[in-house]
Amino acid sequence: MSSQERITQAIYRAVDELNKTFPKGVHLEKSPDAPLYGQASKLESIDLVNFIMEAEEQLNDEFGTSITVTEERALSQQNSPFRTLGTFTDYVSGLLKEHGINGD
Amino acid sequence: MFVDFLQEVWRTHLDAEAVIWRGRAYPYGWLSERFDYWTQQLATEKIPHGAVVILEADFSPNAVALFLALVERACILVPLTDSVRAKRAEFISTAQGEVSIAIDENDAVTIRPLERTATHELYQHLRAEGHPGLVLFSSGSTGESKAAVHDLRPLLEKFKVRRHALRTITFLLYDHIGGVNTMLYTLSNAGCMVTLQDRSPDAVLRAVEEYRVELLPTSPTFLNLVLISEAFRRHDLGSLKTITYGTEPMPESTLKRFHGLFPEIKLLQTYGLSEVGILRSKSKTSDSLWVKVGGEGYETRVREGILQIKAQSAMLGYLNAPSSFTSDGWFNTGDAVETDGEYIRILGRKSEIINVGGEKVYPAEVENVIQELDSVAEVTVYGEKNLITGNIVCASVTPAFELDDSRRKEFVGQIKQHCRQKLQNYKVPVRIEVVRDAQHTERFKKARR
Repeated sequence: MSSQERITQAIYRAVDELNKTFPKGVHLEKSPDAPLYGQASKLESIDLVNFIMEAEEQLNDEFGTSITVTEERALSQQNSPFRTLGTFTDYVSGLLKEHGINGD
Repeated sequence: MFVDFLQEVWRTHLDAEAVIWRGRAYPYGWLSERFDYWTQQLATEKIPHGAVVILEADFSPNAVALFLALVERACILVPLTDSVRAKRAEFISTAQGEVSIAIDENDAVTIRPLERTATHELYQHLRAEGHPGLVLFSSGSTGESKAAVHDLRPLLEKFKVRRHALRTITFLLYDHIGGVNTMLYTLSNAGCMVTLQDRSPDAVLRAVEEYRVELLPTSPTFLNLVLISEAFRRHDLGSLKTITYGTEPMPESTLKRFHGLFPEIKLLQTYGLSEVGILRSKSKTSDSLWVKVGGEGYETRVREGILQIKAQSAMLGYLNAPSSFTSDGWFNTGDAVETDGEYIRILGRKSEIINVGGEKVYPAEVENVIQELDSVAEVTVYGEKNLITGNIVCASVTPAFELDDSRRKEFVGQIKQHCRQKLQNYKVPVRIEVVRDAQHTERFKKARR
């Protein structure tokens, strides 16, 4: 499995965990276009926080890293990395690259 | 002249047990003589009236007699116990101690002068009035310890009303408002103080059984430890009539479980602060967290959800912090409360509220839910800064059993699952840390961060 796939799978595992916390009927799609936080999303801010923490844990377990997603840099991006699962994946791929994990 | 009323009570109870210390009973006749001895000794040692005396001790026969002799000499007492050893130097310096009296574990007393002159204006006030004083440090479980200065003369006033003589455990410490209150209450009614060398659940309950203790003033954390350790199964608590608990919010789960096991023991919540003393309180029922607080000498009101108290014997002020009184003389407790008619329910310290995206979370509420799980021994909930929601709720949990690393995730998952069923989503801990260690201070309060 390529690093990129491993990243995606780790993030999808975090989606599974998050979905367990939702009431019936609410559900985050495992697709790059799935809206994470913003206009089209049903997630509340606390759900986003939970998702990020879970994703960090899954990624750090997978790659043996210690990345932190919730930092100033993530929030000061021109385009929020939290718009969709796809933009989130791109952002964490960048972070992992800094830790020597090349997803390309 | 300040403790005459105590001596009057003692005179008619010379053979009654006053203090039990290390298995030996010291009757009121002995205590009277010892009080006279120390009164004389303080004069011989030329300890000035109004001197600030650091009194390092735990409850012992001499610690009791000396406390009262110093009061009689109108000294300013600063009791310190071993539980604050980490802050000992800081406290002595903050209190501007002029004389050191140390009582060791064999009840031997050492008196020596300290090279310092205490000039704080609150001390000047006490000296001008010729009244004894008492300095109590707040536990500082959150933030810096504040030193509250009391005028002991009005504080002693409420003990002049005679109440029941009880055999009482001095569980709360010698340097704590609750401990001082226990001592003065017991001595003013010719009750018996059962002292402890060890405050573990088994040691305390053993003392209850051995000395037929009737009253145990304690903390919710300790009652929880009694349940976890199952110490109550190993000792006969038949003599125990009342347990009072205060100093921190009681988890409802602990209260209900304890009451279920011991329906005949009356559980009473007390409400006390270093700054205003202990208020008389009345719990709605033994398994209810709703209480009426107040009693003679106290008025209460709630402003913006925070309990305020007007007390006849409130502290004069802090040595090391600005006053916490409103302009019309009410003490702002900083405790957030809910009200229901005359009853209040304490939610927790305002300063401990975790603000998650504008929503308030009281650690006690979340702790209460987590504590419902049998797999959890102890839990402390706290806030952590977060860029998205301002703060997030986190929990440190000590499991009730050995937990190997492979099951850690499952354990954390169960706790979150349970919280989700019981709490709104923003109150569910985002991060749960599993710890092995006990999570309480030496004063048996939750160790907050």
